[in-house]
Amino acid sequence: MTVALGLVLGAITLAIAASDAGAGSLWRHAYHVPVVVAALRWGGGAVLAALAAVLLYTPFVLPALERSGPSPSVLEGLVTLALLLGVGVSSGALAAGVHRQRVRYETLVAVQRALDGEAALDVTLVRLRTSLEARLAGTIGLAVRDGERVALAGGAVLTSGSPAARVLSAGGPLFVPDLGGGMRPRRCFVAPLVGRGGTTGALALERRGDIGGEERRALLALARHLGLALENARLAARQRRFAEELAEKVTAATRHVVEMDRMKSDFVAIASHELRTPLTALQGFSELLATRRFAPAELARVGAIMNAETERLGRIVADFLDLARLERGLAPPLRRGPVDAGAVVGDAVEVLRRARTTHRLELDCDEALPKVDADPDALDRIVKNLVSNAVKYSPAGSRVRVRARLQAMPPAVEIIVEDEGPGIAAADLARVFEPYYRTAAGARVATGSGLGLAVVKSLVDAHGGSIRAENVAPHGTRMTLILPALP
Amino acid sequence: MLALEQPYVPSRAGLLDGTPVAALAMLAAAWGLALLALPAAAARGVGLAAAHGALLGAALAWTAPDPRRERWAPLEAALLLGAATLCARLLPGGAVAYLGVPAWLLRRRADWRAGGTEHARSALAGALFGLLLGAHLLVNASLTLGLRVRPAPIADLLGWLAYDLGANVLAAEACFRGGLFTRALQRWPFPAAAALSTAASVARYLVDPLLPHATGILAGATFYLALLGVGNCWLLVRHGSLAGPIAGGLLFFAAYRLLAR
Repeated sequence: MTVALGLVLGAITLAIAASDAGAGSLWRHAYHVPVVVAALRWGGGAVLAALAAVLLYTPFVLPALERSGPSPSVLEGLVTLALLLGVGVSSGALAAGVHRQRVRYETLVAVQRALDGEAALDVTLVRLRTSLEARLAGTIGLAVRDGERVALAGGAVLTSGSPAARVLSAGGPLFVPDLGGGMRPRRCFVAPLVGRGGTTGALALERRGDIGGEERRALLALARHLGLALENARLAARQRRFAEELAEKVTAATRHVVEMDRMKSDFVAIASHELRTPLTALQGFSELLATRRFAPAELARVGAIMNAETERLGRIVADFLDLARLERGLAPPLRRGPVDAGAVVGDAVEVLRRARTTHRLELDCDEALPKVDADPDALDRIVKNLVSNAVKYSPAGSRVRVRARLQAMPPAVEIIVEDEGPGIAAADLARVFEPYYRTAAGARVATGSGLGLAVVKSLVDAHGGSIRAENVAPHGTRMTLILPALP
Repeated sequence: MLALEQPYVPSRAGLLDGTPVAALAMLAAAWGLALLALPAAAARGVGLAAAHGALLGAALAWTAPDPRRERWAPLEAALLLGAATLCARLLPGGAVAYLGVPAWLLRRRADWRAGGTEHARSALAGALFGLLLGAHLLVNASLTLGLRVRPAPIADLLGWLAYDLGANVLAAEACFRGGLFTRALQRWPFPAAAALSTAASVARYLVDPLLPHATGILAGATFYLALLGVGNCWLLVRHGSLAGPIAGGLLFFAAYRLLAR
């Protein structure tokens, strides 16, 4: 294109030279064509084309001026020279303006594209920087506040007192005519990125070349747009995170509800079975009593069995009632008073020792244990439940050890029930006190409602105490119950 | 990136801060004394050395990191130029002594030596520009003023070239482009800085007592020197090297010297 324009300029010059009119030749007007074409092609390049045309046309005008003074044809020639320069400058400026406008729109689109997606802020800034550098013909730096830190693109650190740091703190734009470094000044313009809450960052353009007033105004507008776009992207990301968290919570809650539903179904089946066993016994023995005659000794034995089954039934019903209160968030009814914990533990173990002969029940109580503020029946239920569980889930013939001792600080009574069973899986330890929850291993070993430990926990909590489950080496489970001692 | 990583302290220095005023005043006084006390030819030699020395010294002071260290540079440059002028006048081929000036300048300023291939590119572009402008001058002057190209002996041509390289062009480009234009560009946009630099360099030639003062010559000089000035400013910004402006000036003035008067 350059060569073609050069040839055209040369051809016009030859045409003027060949005509007799000299400076007044009509061919002189043809110089405007390559000037306008250069403007359309290169914008600012029109000035160079106009200068070339002026240089080519001057040898026709100046000699005529020297020879004949300011004659009409010479004046026409001078006007043509002025027009060529004027057309070159103005058409070049117009074309360059159009080009700049197009670049601006493209830049805005590029900015939107760079902000698209769910990338982290640092990645987004690098994308933005790359995209802007390709369009703004300079080095781009971005500094954006992200909570306590400042995310950067285009530099390793944000030095205090640097142009970008000044803009971040002061909020206004800053133009630095020369950052230093040689005969070609390194210009720099820093525009604030403004969000709804004020200055959120800075956009810096560095270039070895001019950054004119119009370009600075355009950069300010771009920075405003960028500030809002970044903030919107951040808000959108926050909303996405919130929605994801909400979805996760809903999923977890749904899973929990499904699990509870399944456990309740299991519970209904187990409870029916648990209720049916004593009821079957009671029904069978009551039918026998109604249809047969028994010797007094037999009658006493049947009565004892029916009494035991009735007690069992009562315990199950009591557990149900406690569970119902527990699910409504109510504490179990207690009749608290000063209780000798050692005595209650000893009695409970003694009763169970007489009833269960398959395990070795060992009792180890400190002497002179302080009293605790407790409901003796509830404490009895707690201990019996823990010891029953230990017996139920440990092999026959193994040892179940019950200890009651004083804990010094804070003053409390610690009751420990330890068995030699297989222990509880680590994942189940935290859940064994949940209502209906039964470990898979436990469910294989023995039947149960999954309510015992939940009721124990609720009773302990109601006493202001604590209970924890842990495994002991080499195998076995330890339940540790702590009740505050009375002063 | 400097905008992020380098602390910025706004400069309050003026455009002409650091000008070695004392040395310039001494040179002016010396020239005045020479005009009063010496024969015209000798006074012209002193004036030439003083004027070019002043331009070179000012350029050195304006572009130095610490201008105070260059406060006597105009005197040094003037002495060197005076010696070169003496050699050129008294010895056959003595004009080669002018080449000592650029050597002296480059020895003082390591940053002007750095740049490598950019100097070569700049020199090439400048040579092309100077050649075009010089050719146009020859065509235009021969058509307008009836001046013809004068074939000159090679020794004369080399002598003029040495003088331009060591004094005339070097001093003008170092001062008006390397010093004044660069300083102005650190404060203002290109058009303003180029206008100031060009106006100053055109003025320097218009007040030169050695230039013929016919109206046609002055108009032509203004026209071409303005083009040369703006073009050299653009070359300096484009390449960051003074090699281009110096090459452009050398070739333009070579063409100018070929015109027979």
